[in-house]
Amino acid sequence: MDLNDQPTTPQESIDPAHSGPAAGPPPVSSGAPTVPLAPSPANGTVKTTGQPSSRRTFMGKSLKSIAAVGGIGVVAAAGGIALEQWIQHGGLNNLASGPMASEQQIGHLLRKAGFGATAAEMDTYRKLGFSGAVDRLLNYMQVSDDAMESRLNALNLNLNNPNDQQRWWLLRMAWTQRPLLEKMTLFWHGVLTSSFRKVGGKAAYMRMIIQNQFLRQHAFDTYDNILLGITSDPAMLFYLDLTKSTKNQPNENYARELMELFTLGLGHYTQRDVYEGAAALTGWHVRGLTSRYNPRDHNDLTKVYLGHTGNLDYKDVINILVNNPATPWFIARKLFTFFVYENPSTDDLKPLVDTYVQSGHNMGAVMKTLLNSPQFSSAKAYRSRIKSPIEFTVGAYRALGITGDGNGLPTITTLMGQTLFDPPNVAGWPGDKVSALWLNSGTWMTRLNYIDLLLARGTIARTGSTPLVDLQGIINANKIDSPESFVDYFASFLLDGNLDSDRRQVLLDYFTTSDIGRGGQIMLTSGKSYPLNRVRGTLYLMMTSPEYQLN
Amino acid sequence: MKLTRRAMIKDGLLVVSAGMVMPSIFSRGVASAKSLSLDGSRVAQTASDRTLIVVQLAGGNDGLNTVIPYSDPTYLKMRPTLGIPAEKVVQLDTRLGLHPSLSPLKPLWDSGHLAIVEGVGYPNQSLSHFQAMDIWQTLDLNGTGSEGWLGKLVAGLVDQQGHPFKSLDIGVQTAQALQSISAQVPTLSSVKTYNVYPDPADTDGGNARMQALMKLYNTYPRSAPYAALLDTTALAAQDGSRQLHQADATYRPAVTYPKGPFADGLKVLAEAIVQNLGLRVGYVTLGGFDTHANQSATHAALMTTLANGLAAFYQDLAAHGKADNVVVMTWSEFGRRVEENGSLGTDHGTAAPMFILGNPVNRGIFGEPPSLSSLDQNGNLKYTIDFRSVYATVLDRWMGASSKDVLGADYGSQNFLPKP
Repeated sequence: MDLNDQPTTPQESIDPAHSGPAAGPPPVSSGAPTVPLAPSPANGTVKTTGQPSSRRTFMGKSLKSIAAVGGIGVVAAAGGIALEQWIQHGGLNNLASGPMASEQQIGHLLRKAGFGATAAEMDTYRKLGFSGAVDRLLNYMQVSDDAMESRLNALNLNLNNPNDQQRWWLLRMAWTQRPLLEKMTLFWHGVLTSSFRKVGGKAAYMRMIIQNQFLRQHAFDTYDNILLGITSDPAMLFYLDLTKSTKNQPNENYARELMELFTLGLGHYTQRDVYEGAAALTGWHVRGLTSRYNPRDHNDLTKVYLGHTGNLDYKDVINILVNNPATPWFIARKLFTFFVYENPSTDDLKPLVDTYVQSGHNMGAVMKTLLNSPQFSSAKAYRSRIKSPIEFTVGAYRALGITGDGNGLPTITTLMGQTLFDPPNVAGWPGDKVSALWLNSGTWMTRLNYIDLLLARGTIARTGSTPLVDLQGIINANKIDSPESFVDYFASFLLDGNLDSDRRQVLLDYFTTSDIGRGGQIMLTSGKSYPLNRVRGTLYLMMTSPEYQLN
Repeated sequence: MKLTRRAMIKDGLLVVSAGMVMPSIFSRGVASAKSLSLDGSRVAQTASDRTLIVVQLAGGNDGLNTVIPYSDPTYLKMRPTLGIPAEKVVQLDTRLGLHPSLSPLKPLWDSGHLAIVEGVGYPNQSLSHFQAMDIWQTLDLNGTGSEGWLGKLVAGLVDQQGHPFKSLDIGVQTAQALQSISAQVPTLSSVKTYNVYPDPADTDGGNARMQALMKLYNTYPRSAPYAALLDTTALAAQDGSRQLHQADATYRPAVTYPKGPFADGLKVLAEAIVQNLGLRVGYVTLGGFDTHANQSATHAALMTTLANGLAAFYQDLAAHGKADNVVVMTWSEFGRRVEENGSLGTDHGTAAPMFILGNPVNRGIFGEPPSLSSLDQNGNLKYTIDFRSVYATVLDRWMGASSKDVLGADYGSQNFLPKP
């Protein structure tokens, strides 16, 4: 397929309101709906009007309204959870007490709302207390990510190459100081998804990065703006065939999935709504790395769509969808499942739905409610999901402070069952919904082999190359002087400092068993030496343990 | 470790049997398990076993351009650009023929080893990929089921025989059809990666480290989330990888398989069959069938991949004397709209044909191709055969299972397999 794959209808006129810069994401669409629609639930604040302002301005607005919503303070956690279970899991106790958050609270937060943490990051966030840590994650623009950007730039990755694209994003996630922003972008990538396999051929792979940047820049925007942007996103236009849809022959693909997978879910629309929605959505076409709305290729007959009648267009469709009562429940369920635990109850979701409505559909506000909810800090949420391949791979890279070039990481995540920019289908990754699906015998062995690679091999195939982790350096820098302090140091940020004493003993036994390994010795700061394979084997055991598979 | 695992499974079986959870799903399985325990020979047991290979065509395969009603004038009228003219069709009889890229399957038809079940669907077919896939795999017509029909079968099998290779899924995620609450299905993308690498500095091949790891898994609190899943996964991985690598050391395919993950997967399944790993249910997926636009080239390439892969698989089995033991069944969540759309593609449809392939099948067209002129309100085909009767036939007539127990009701049968 061709990069400039164009519809057969000539485009003589280009809507000036939609002409953006030559490269970069398509502008968020503007302009009021062309027909009267049902008023939005809360004070009519569906802000799709206004000048085609820059993305950063939109971000600014979004973030102000996050602050305005707030008000749902940190609540003491254990609500609804049996005390016994609470204690057994170690709980996230003392949530509201004391300025310093516990290792478990912050470890939990940074795993769920990010990709885990180094020992230093744990310190930084613990000092902020739990709600301070949440604020820092949400107000990410106050934290500089320049160091990561320059490290990434130095790698000179080819952003039109799918393998390099994956490295680029995996390393972003591993190195970012804005972990929630990247995690939220990953969430959106699993929902509003596209695959490099169908974005217009090799010359157009860059469209995936453009989509990714759009999702990052609008991760906490209103759902209206997110959907308007993704509808006109070049990769999405191609992936779900909207670019092929024409005035007289609308293509059903995007119209269906927009309702089934992005907003309403099954059961809230009919096949007729698919036909009529497809007609209303006509007019958008890919042009190179951008997109154009051509009013002359818009079907301007009267449509009847989800109970609304008129010469509806894409803005009307999005407006109808974001104001449909099914949408906040649908998106809240996805968020809650991804960030908290699976099978949430109506009571779990209600505060998110309320925030969606009250904030004018602001996803940053919804996320603030979610992270500060008692459910998020409940024992039920603790280690409540199997880590996704991305969470596992990035998490280990990040926690161990690895500064490599990410070579080989895409292959590893693929063998674990997840390839960035290549979801299995338009529904994204099934494991995002049911995390147990991430785990089977094949993917489990890949997890083990990845940790072995980081600690003992350097590459998955060869032996004898330099491992990516300098254990002796870590031991010296942190003055680790005994097997106990070795285990406790790594457990503090790999396992939230939450390691049962029997299980800790298994690790200590392994560490201290005499062995004539081939790898030489590691010296603790006490001066006592241990075989290298036992020392790094102990760390391997921690990172391949059941606990470490969970998020 | 090996003994522990066997003991565990036996205990599990006793509990299951006593609780009457799965009474008589697999009579043949019980019989062979008994004979196995008598003579202690795994090879003798698996040599008499029958294997089912399920091929999922994900995305909604265009049935009308797969098995083509080439003599019906309505076909080309509805498909002015996508329609395949009679002279290009691989004609099977006076009405129907195969897509030209399926020609590698023609020798199987000629030698009597290919059956086609026409017009397969179910009442009120869903046009949603995901609901339709759920329905085909769990048989819950609301699309809200969780246990797969093969998972139900396989859970019984594993419990009764304690063999970790009773079923094998090719891929990185276990198919929903194979999901069950009580059995772990080995899932792998290649033999090479189905292996735990030792630390090169270990002098014992990684045994001590693996033992310590298994201790962490065995002692992980049962009440903690995912404890059972984690533990059974770890055990299955160890057992399975050892057996598979032993088998791999001596397996030589008799044909050159085409390149690509689909044929690679079939090769692993052939290896498991040829090497007598006790495989009863194999599963492999070929994706990319959601052809809403520019369908012709995409669909032809997929047909080529499908036909060349299956032909190589059959020839490999035949050369190893295993072709009598294996039946292959293909399915897709739906066919596509009869009338092509304006993007040189087709939208979501309903009924479609299934292929059943192997020496044991009765050659022929079973069921009636749906009429192209009497369509439903969405312009889609009306199904003529319920997919559950196809499953029932495979279960009752090939696998020696009780389809009523597996599927939950009696759905009748088709004659593409002889009565046992």
